[in-house]
Amino acid sequence: MDYASLYWTFIRINIKAKTEYRAAFLLTFLSRGIVWSTEFALIWVLLYKFQSIAGWGQYEVMFLYALNLTSYSLAAFFCFHPFTKLPAKIQSGEFDELLTKPMNPLLYLMSREFTASYFSNVAFGMLFIGICISQLKLSLSAWDFFFLFITLVGGTLIQAAAFIYTAIPSFWMVRNTSIAQLLLFDFKDFIRYPVSIYPASIQIVLTLIVPYAFINFYPAQYFLGKQDFLMFHPLFQYLTLAVGSVLFAGALLLWNWGIKQYHSTGS
Amino acid sequence: MIEVHDVSKSYRVNRPRREGWLAAVQSLYARAYDWKTAVSGLNFHITEGELVGFIGPNGAGKSTTVKMLSGVLTPTSGRIITNGIEPSRDRKHNAMHIGVVFGQRSQLYWDLPMDDTFRLFQRMYRIDPAVFRRNVDFMVELLEMKGFYRTPIRQLSLGQKMRANLAAALLHDPRILYLDEPTIGLDVIAKTNIRRFLKELNAEKKTTVILTTHDMDDIEEVCERLMMIDDGQIIYDGGLQAFNSQFGGGTMLEVEYKGCNAPLDDPRLQVVAHTGNNVTYQFDRTDISLGEAVSLVSRRHELRDLRLREPELEKTIGMIYTKNKRQRELK
Repeated sequence: MDYASLYWTFIRINIKAKTEYRAAFLLTFLSRGIVWSTEFALIWVLLYKFQSIAGWGQYEVMFLYALNLTSYSLAAFFCFHPFTKLPAKIQSGEFDELLTKPMNPLLYLMSREFTASYFSNVAFGMLFIGICISQLKLSLSAWDFFFLFITLVGGTLIQAAAFIYTAIPSFWMVRNTSIAQLLLFDFKDFIRYPVSIYPASIQIVLTLIVPYAFINFYPAQYFLGKQDFLMFHPLFQYLTLAVGSVLFAGALLLWNWGIKQYHSTGS
Repeated sequence: MIEVHDVSKSYRVNRPRREGWLAAVQSLYARAYDWKTAVSGLNFHITEGELVGFIGPNGAGKSTTVKMLSGVLTPTSGRIITNGIEPSRDRKHNAMHIGVVFGQRSQLYWDLPMDDTFRLFQRMYRIDPAVFRRNVDFMVELLEMKGFYRTPIRQLSLGQKMRANLAAALLHDPRILYLDEPTIGLDVIAKTNIRRFLKELNAEKKTTVILTTHDMDDIEEVCERLMMIDDGQIIYDGGLQAFNSQFGGGTMLEVEYKGCNAPLDDPRLQVVAHTGNNVTYQFDRTDISLGEAVSLVSRRHELRDLRLREPELEKTIGMIYTKNKRQRELK
C-alpha cells in the first residue's frame, strides 16, 4: 500500500507545524547544539587530563559518543514522542481514538508524533562523527562509509527498540516511568565510555542482555582498528545491524501482543 | 446497521489490598484480582439513519459500549456486527466506515488550521478529491466555519474546536458517527449549533448517529431513540414519549375551579392533589390527549386558571438512578 506517501504527508505536515514558530525552531536548534557541543567538549577535556581510558584516546572516546548521539537522535525522530507519551495517552483516552483510525496504530503514532526538531540532534551527531574521522585521520573507503551507514541503521534500530520496549508495560500499568528512565537514560550512560573499563558482569549485561555495546563499542573497533573484544568474538564488530533487527522485530511482536491485550482489557 | 447480541464485557481489576505492611509486601508477588463487569447481556438493534442517545450515570457502561461498537474494545462474550462486519475483528476495515469524536480531545494539529488536518485525512481515508471538496464545503457551510477555517486550532474557542473535530470525523462519509459527550462544556449557542447540525447531517446523508450524553436537551432535541444504561445493563430502550410515560409519571394538569371543587371522576385522569378549589390531575398522554383532558376537566365546571406541567426528563432520570442505586445497595 502507499504507506510511504502517507508517511511523507505526515512528515510534511509536522515540519509545517514546527516552522509555524520559526524563532522557536531556530532557538531549539541552537540550544540543543550548545548542549551537545558542551557534552562533546567535556569528553575532550576529561581525556585531555587522562590522555586515554583503557587504551582509548580522546577522539576515539568522542567517536563513541558521536555514534551513540546520532543513532539515538535518528530513533528519537520517530520514537521519542510516540512512546514516552504513550502512558499519558492511554490514561487520557487519546489512545482509544487512535484505534478508530484505519491505520496500524504503531505507524500512526510514529507518523503523527514524528518530531521535526530532532533534526538538529542528527545534524550535530553527524558533525561530531565527521570531526572524529578527520581528527583521527581515518582514511575510509567507500565500503567503510557504507558500513558506517549500516552501523548507524543498526544502532538506530536498537535505540528505537528500547523506546518501544519501555512503552509496552503501559498497556497494563498506570505508572512505569522508572523502567523507562532506567532503560532509556541511566543504562545508556554506560556506553559513553569504552565498555572495557567496566567489570565483566556489566560487560556481559551490555553485550547480551541490554546490548547497547553494539551501538558504538563493537562497531567503533572496526573503524578505529582496535582488538578490544573483551571475552567475546571479534565477529561482534559486524553484528550491529543483525542485533538491531532482531531487537526491533521482537519489539514489534511484543507491541502487537500488547495492543491485542489492550483490546480485550482496556486500561 | 448495528446488531448487538448478548454482549458482555468484564475487566480484571486489582483487589484493594488490606492494611499493613505485610499485605503490602504480599501484594508485590501475589496480587488478588477481581472481575468487574462493565456491561452484561446487551441486546439491541439499530437500523440505518437512526439517532440514538445513550444515557446513564458515570461508570454505568456507556463509554464501554461505544468503545466496543467502534472496535476499540473486544467484547468478553457475545457478538457485535456493524456495517456487516465485526468491528473488533476487522478494526481497520471498520474504521473506514465510522466517524468518532470522543469528548474534547482534538484529533487536529494544534498549530495548524483545520484545512491541513483535513488534507491529511483525505490521504489516510483515501477520499476521492471531488468527494473531499464537496464534503469540506458541506461541513464549512453547515457548521458555519468560514470565519475560522484558516485559523490555527489553538486559537479557536471550545465550540469552534468541537465543530472542526466533527467535520474531521465526517470527511470520509462514515455510515455511523459515534460521539462521546459531544456538547460537554459548551455554551448554549454552541450546543444548539451542534444539535442542529446532527439533525441536518442525518437528514441529508442518512448517517446513523450514536451519542452518549448527560445533557437531556441533547436527547430531547436530537435523538429519536433513547437507551438508558445503568449498572451495565440497558434498563430502557425506546422513544422519548414512551420513556416519559413509563418513568415520568405523566403530564400534570393543575386546575383552579371557580366556586365548585368536585374533582372529575375519570380513570384516565388521576387526582394527585386537592386543596380548596385547586385540583391537580396527572395523566398519560398515550391514554388521553391533552385536548381531551382539558375539555373533560372544563366541561362541567367553569375554570379560573389552568396550568400544564410536562415531566422533566432530568428529574425523572435522577429519580431512576437513585432508585436503582438504593435497590443495589439493599441486595
